[in-house]
Amino acid sequence: MRLVVAAAAVFAATAPTSAFAVDYLSAEQAAKLMFPDADAFDVRNVALDAAQLQQLDAQGIRGRSANWQVRVARRAGAALGFVITDEVIGKVELISYAVGIALDGSVKQVEILSYRESHGFEIRLPAWRRQFVGKGIGAALRVGEDIANISGATLSCTHVTDGVRRIVAVLALARRNGGLA
Amino acid sequence: MKLPHLPTRTLLAAAIALAAGQACAQTTTEAELARKLDQLASELAAVKAQLAQMQQQKAAAPAPPPAMAAAPSAPVAAAPQSPATVITSYGELNYNRPTKRSQDAQADVRRFVLGYQHRFDEKTKVVTELEVEHAVSSASDKGEVEVEQAYVERQLTPTYALRAGLFLMPVGLLNENHEPTAFYGVERNFVETAIIPSTWREGGVQLVGSFDNGLTVQGGLTTGFDLTKWDATSGEGKESPLGSIHQEMSLAKSHDLAVFGAVNWRGVPGLLLGGSLFTGQATQGQAVGKGRVTLWDLHARWTPGRWDLSALYTRGTISNTAVLNATLVGNPTLIPKSFDGYYVQGAYKVWSHEDYALSPFVRFEQYNTARSYADLGPGLTPDAARSERVITLGANFQVAQGIVVKADYQRFRENADLNRVNLGLGWSF
Repeated sequence: MRLVVAAAAVFAATAPTSAFAVDYLSAEQAAKLMFPDADAFDVRNVALDAAQLQQLDAQGIRGRSANWQVRVARRAGAALGFVITDEVIGKVELISYAVGIALDGSVKQVEILSYRESHGFEIRLPAWRRQFVGKGIGAALRVGEDIANISGATLSCTHVTDGVRRIVAVLALARRNGGLA
Repeated sequence: MKLPHLPTRTLLAAAIALAAGQACAQTTTEAELARKLDQLASELAAVKAQLAQMQQQKAAAPAPPPAMAAAPSAPVAAAPQSPATVITSYGELNYNRPTKRSQDAQADVRRFVLGYQHRFDEKTKVVTELEVEHAVSSASDKGEVEVEQAYVERQLTPTYALRAGLFLMPVGLLNENHEPTAFYGVERNFVETAIIPSTWREGGVQLVGSFDNGLTVQGGLTTGFDLTKWDATSGEGKESPLGSIHQEMSLAKSHDLAVFGAVNWRGVPGLLLGGSLFTGQATQGQAVGKGRVTLWDLHARWTPGRWDLSALYTRGTISNTAVLNATLVGNPTLIPKSFDGYYVQGAYKVWSHEDYALSPFVRFEQYNTARSYADLGPGLTPDAARSERVITLGANFQVAQGIVVKADYQRFRENADLNRVNLGLGWSF
């Protein structure tokens, strides 16, 4: 039992810093975190047609959904960037995350909104999420290429990375079609 | 923009009001005209409100519009909810062909596992796995049916979760991640089967702490091993000392409980550094002497870019084996005092296209299931076993996410008769 007490002491000494519950951020909070200078977030819906989904498929990206909601961060009316929230399945549970995209189309920030899997919470760590920053449409954005895996959380890493790559491509397509300011 | 269909009643009211207004304008005073205009304005405001409401409903509808459009709108439909119950499975179908003894070639449904995870609420779930080994389990077959995991997990805080039930021990790199898609080679490595039992699970309670600095700390109180079932007449204890005395929570003797702890750090992307310790008495109050089983390991894994590099060392000890072996002397397999092993492994993804990925790997491992024996006196103390060294050279080929085809060749330094070629098919979801 002494070992159990010692283990408890170790737990107590390692102070947690995260907020309560597996839901860490709301989409609105994530958007404000990513674009603190924004004074408004203009919510827009982007809908892809079959041809556009095929276009994504040709880039090796499964469109998954035709409908996307984009928050356009604005300051005094001028666009600062974009925020898209999405959900992917980790191993068996949904992971909610948000991707901030800068005006040049590169990833500005990735935030995990909620994580429910028993393993792999480390995708929430800033060091792992920072790997995406600055990568855009020309980047591989693949685990085992330019995104390092987390041992024991391969599926969570792979699926979030695939999701970020998809969001970068969808937003680029939407902007090419003049749908977003 | 195409207007949505407005309710007929609203349009009629607007039209009548407009017509009435026009008719009255020819016959009434300016004051009456102003009143009619006010009435029209209020009608128009009502129509606008209804239009806005309908636009919101349309935005929430799942049907995709025919072409790309980006328009200001209310939030789209809520994100899909994760199903409460999820079926999981993994399987391994293996073919082993010894190169020097091809008559021993075997094809085997090594494992077929079905499981489910059911989430009672946002913080509570049950995780189970039921495994069939070697395809058929009956009185005349070698197969086994096993409950591999059956635990309830409750998220106490964002940092701490509590597990209770039958769970996999957080030891080494493989035990908690043992699906065929998660390791290189057709067969699980020898160190994490002969020294660390695989798949090793115990019943008990476990606290899991996940910290924002990348540390995962696990610890708890569980059932342990049963030294009283050591079979000195068989070679099972030489193949895996702890594998031969694990209880798997099958009517597990529980006079003696064990404690364990594990620390893993993943603070740098692609890097894992960790270790574990397990210790507990294992004679279950049924032997003359007491015997404590202790096992620890240190492990590291680094995955920079296309590389996947890992290393592990583990060592186990059993105390008081001189006393425990006293009644077993003369049998071929006595209880070892210590056993250990290590491996280093490197893999590189040489080719990938969409979901296809080819990753050759090489692994060197050395293990000794009887590194030392306690002194039983001259002529009675068995010689320590010779360490076996195995080189495995092969490749994993990912066909789709969750499906892997494997091939490798294994060369044994001590017992060359075991040299073999292996082929495997595995899945996991």
